[in-house]
Amino acid sequence: MDKKAYDSYMKTTHRLGRLVSVITLILLVGAPFAIGALLGAMPDLGAVARGFLSVGLVWTVSSVVEFLVYTPMLGAGGSYLAFITGNLINMKIPCAMNAKELVDAKSGTAENEVISTLSIATSSLVTILVLALGVLLLLPLQPVLQSPVLAPAFGNVVPALFGAMAYKYYRKAPLLSLAPLTVMVLLFILVPSLTSSTSFMIIPSGALAIGLSYLAYRKQKGAGI
Amino acid sequence: MTVLQSLNSGGMYLICGAIVAFIAVVCVVFMIRAWRMGKALGMDTTRMKRAITASATFSVLPSVGILLGVLALSGSLGVPWPWLRLSVIGALHYETQVADAAAEQLGISLGDGQMTLQAFSTIALLMSICIMWGMILSTLFNRRYLARLQKGGPAEGKKSGGFGDRAMAAMFIGMVSAYIGSYVGGYISGSGLFSFAGSWTPLAVVAVSALVMAAFIYFSEKKGMAWLDNFSIAGSMLCGMLAAVLIGH
Repeated sequence: MDKKAYDSYMKTTHRLGRLVSVITLILLVGAPFAIGALLGAMPDLGAVARGFLSVGLVWTVSSVVEFLVYTPMLGAGGSYLAFITGNLINMKIPCAMNAKELVDAKSGTAENEVISTLSIATSSLVTILVLALGVLLLLPLQPVLQSPVLAPAFGNVVPALFGAMAYKYYRKAPLLSLAPLTVMVLLFILVPSLTSSTSFMIIPSGALAIGLSYLAYRKQKGAGI
Repeated sequence: MTVLQSLNSGGMYLICGAIVAFIAVVCVVFMIRAWRMGKALGMDTTRMKRAITASATFSVLPSVGILLGVLALSGSLGVPWPWLRLSVIGALHYETQVADAAAEQLGISLGDGQMTLQAFSTIALLMSICIMWGMILSTLFNRRYLARLQKGGPAEGKKSGGFGDRAMAAMFIGMVSAYIGSYVGGYISGSGLFSFAGSWTPLAVVAVSALVMAAFIYFSEKKGMAWLDNFSIAGSMLCGMLAAVLIGH
């Protein structure tokens, strides 16, 4: 193995990874302002700050955990790309693991670094291509999508998401799920005005679930499981 | 011009398309560099080609699932913005939830026809800000973190995965509970304490969506149809949304 060439490759990968991450950040945060200028309606920064305090903190914790857990699996190039292109749990991680197993690359090796980068880059390009083609096909369907008949469907996109996620997550820990669900149901029944602050209620509900989960974890560890 | 027409305008496609194109170029650059490095390391090109082919075929079905997510969000946010968000950085469950939270701060609901252009740009900014931490952490700590792991072996990676995985699952349980609690509360006390006169449509949608998810999981886990998992979230959501249309009639 040409160690010098690999060290130089890694150095450039980190430089390039940092550079494109910063550019992507600027583009993604700048896009709503560009759109605001285009449409003549800038974002309401107060509402953004309040929204961030309610849901942003939850996703910040999630991002930290994802960074700590997935970076060692994906290596440098793969993780820079994966954090830029998203869809980690549902696609990028299993895709890279599948490629790694297929070619029998060992974690932490130069080979793994190369395979992981090739895999994540390919996966991202396929998604970009499929979505671009799909969007082209969606264009003629726009009048149908905007018809009043379909309005209730788009008005219930959030309950549809949480129904699917409820089954997916509750089945992992049915007993643990009972406590936050019961507390939240009672709270919303007794104080119906809270409905307009549902996203804020994620904080106590999430804290209760995480606290109970931690107690169960400690108990299991104490029992040596 | 209606709000949705503005959100589907050529300018929107241009802004979103340019960012998607930039990310595509980044992927190609990383891919070419990795391929060249692999050859320089003496790796068998057949194995590298196999990794690329396997990753491409692996990604087709999940990508179609993600496309259904664009469809699900297109009625409230137009096509270009969900296309950008789900092509790069985002994931359907994240985008939907954050968009809804931002709408709540503005006193509207997604898809109820109250969307304004300012509400949209506000929602778009919150969606961008809430999920940027992975990139920020990667920019600041990727190199140092990987260097530490190289020195200390794989133990640290395992340590982070211990309670971390459980905490993430618990956090989602808390989030889902808050929303389902609000639907139950809305139905029972939404139009007066214990009046049972609120809308039951969201509850029915939750039930249908959860049942369809149960079916997806049953077939993918018990009947060996693991590929179905790629469509589970988007498929369940679309069935739940279809139920809302049927109830609406």
